[in-house]
Amino acid sequence: MQRRKLLSAGAALAGTALNLAAWADDDKKKSKDKDKPKDKPKDKPKDSGTGTSTGGNLPPPAVPKSRVIVIGGGMAGATVAKYLRLWGDAVDVTLIDRSPVYTSCIMSSLVLTGQRTMASLNYGYDTLRIRYGIRTVFGEVAAVDPVSARVTLASGQVLMADRIVMAPGIAFDDVPGLTQPDAMPHAWKAGPQTALLAAQLAAMPTNGVAVLTIPKAPYRCPPGPYERACLIADWIKARKPQGKLIVLDANPDFVTERDNFSSAFLGLHGPIIEYHNNVVIDSVDPTSRTVFTANGPVRGDVVNLIPPQRAPKLLLDTGLVNDATGRFARVNVLSYASTAAPLVHVIGDSAATTQPKAGHIANQEAKVCADALVRIFAGGSPDPAPVTNSACYSTITMSQASWLHALFQYNADTATMQAVAAATGASVGWNSGSFKEMGTWFNALMGDTFA
Amino acid sequence: MSPRNPLRASLAALATAALVPTLAQAQAVPEGRLLASNCFQCHGTNGKGPGFDKLAGKASSEIYKELVEFRSGKEGNGVMAKHALGYTDAQLRALSTYLSTQR
Repeated sequence: MQRRKLLSAGAALAGTALNLAAWADDDKKKSKDKDKPKDKPKDKPKDSGTGTSTGGNLPPPAVPKSRVIVIGGGMAGATVAKYLRLWGDAVDVTLIDRSPVYTSCIMSSLVLTGQRTMASLNYGYDTLRIRYGIRTVFGEVAAVDPVSARVTLASGQVLMADRIVMAPGIAFDDVPGLTQPDAMPHAWKAGPQTALLAAQLAAMPTNGVAVLTIPKAPYRCPPGPYERACLIADWIKARKPQGKLIVLDANPDFVTERDNFSSAFLGLHGPIIEYHNNVVIDSVDPTSRTVFTANGPVRGDVVNLIPPQRAPKLLLDTGLVNDATGRFARVNVLSYASTAAPLVHVIGDSAATTQPKAGHIANQEAKVCADALVRIFAGGSPDPAPVTNSACYSTITMSQASWLHALFQYNADTATMQAVAAATGASVGWNSGSFKEMGTWFNALMGDTFA
Repeated sequence: MSPRNPLRASLAALATAALVPTLAQAQAVPEGRLLASNCFQCHGTNGKGPGFDKLAGKASSEIYKELVEFRSGKEGNGVMAKHALGYTDAQLRALSTYLSTQR
């Protein structure tokens, strides 16, 4: 009851406020304050400046000492833009994205079970613009010249900078036969496909079969497909009592959090989930909603087809896709400078590093990149010993979650970010407390990124 | 404390002037700031919330002591127990000091 009330309060807010975490579902303390406006970009920012400044909004520098163009306004791009302004000395920052609204992938599987609205996942760029003086350009990037650090927009406009930071996220491989993508949505970039998959699941017969496919790693959000499967299974149990969920995993085993997910798949959700490992999707027939594998065809009433992933074409066109798999961009993890183009930095899911592709750590990669650029602009060198961390919660049921954590230290011998064994691992089991903490974590992370 | 030797005084002034850019540069990137930014995803930018416990303005010794307690397992086996194990002692001290300077 409590939850439902909060959901409708959040939905009402979300209609008017795109900017902040105008969503306080799992954070009771916040929900008591729900009458207070949550989005106050024009207020004196209590958290702007480096702690020694007097506060107040930061206008763009009148006389820039250096200029950075950030391409992509997701978790990595928004964070690097913000921290370049917070930490930098008169750095002029222009953030380019296709869309004036970012829809969070984190928490988006809860839309499939009706526990969140799409609107609750939306974040705008007004706070970054007003509070931090970041210039925003909404449009398509046509080309990046990595040598002269020049960006040409599809509109013909040309922007120049001292450095370019690319944070364009992921693209999906074409799946043979997938002529109607909406017939088998991936919903792996939150957006229209998320709402579509939710509607398809809701319309599934009570004895229906849903199919979820997991691509070979590395893909965005390692625990994501497994937590989504758990969530859908729990929802099927309640809403589609004779229903079933078939999970086809291209990987040889659970990619991460093995203890919790195997226990949930085989135990708790055993009557609903049918799990097959080492199953690669060769092609599909969207009309009959069939996926074809080496082990034979599998048909579903709903098919959540998550294709293999790679860096978007813009990175390929810029000549930065140079890892061994031919999918992602190699970088120097002290600064995230591309190994192919020293004036272009690549952060987040497009980069080939030892770190997971996920929003929380993309935020930290962005801070390492911003700090390195600030030092470089001042005539120095990047911090020689950066640390990054990854933390998240996984929904095991519609009301219980587990957590997963890793911390990475720079290893100078291998020039990679190396996971510290003692600081890497998951919760032992899952509970409702972690589900509640997940809401606090999400709001904090989105605040650190977009506000 | 007026200098007896004017030449020495002007040399000292010169030396100070020469040091200024170096100091300014060092001050531009406070020690521990990048390390401490690992806290911000869950504790808010500069540790000021929204999120889990606010860290800004706590005494450095208090933050450090809590982190050491998390490492020891005295504070249970939650995310922070795992997180605190990732840092060296020097890193814990540096990030605690930085957070204590935030107001």
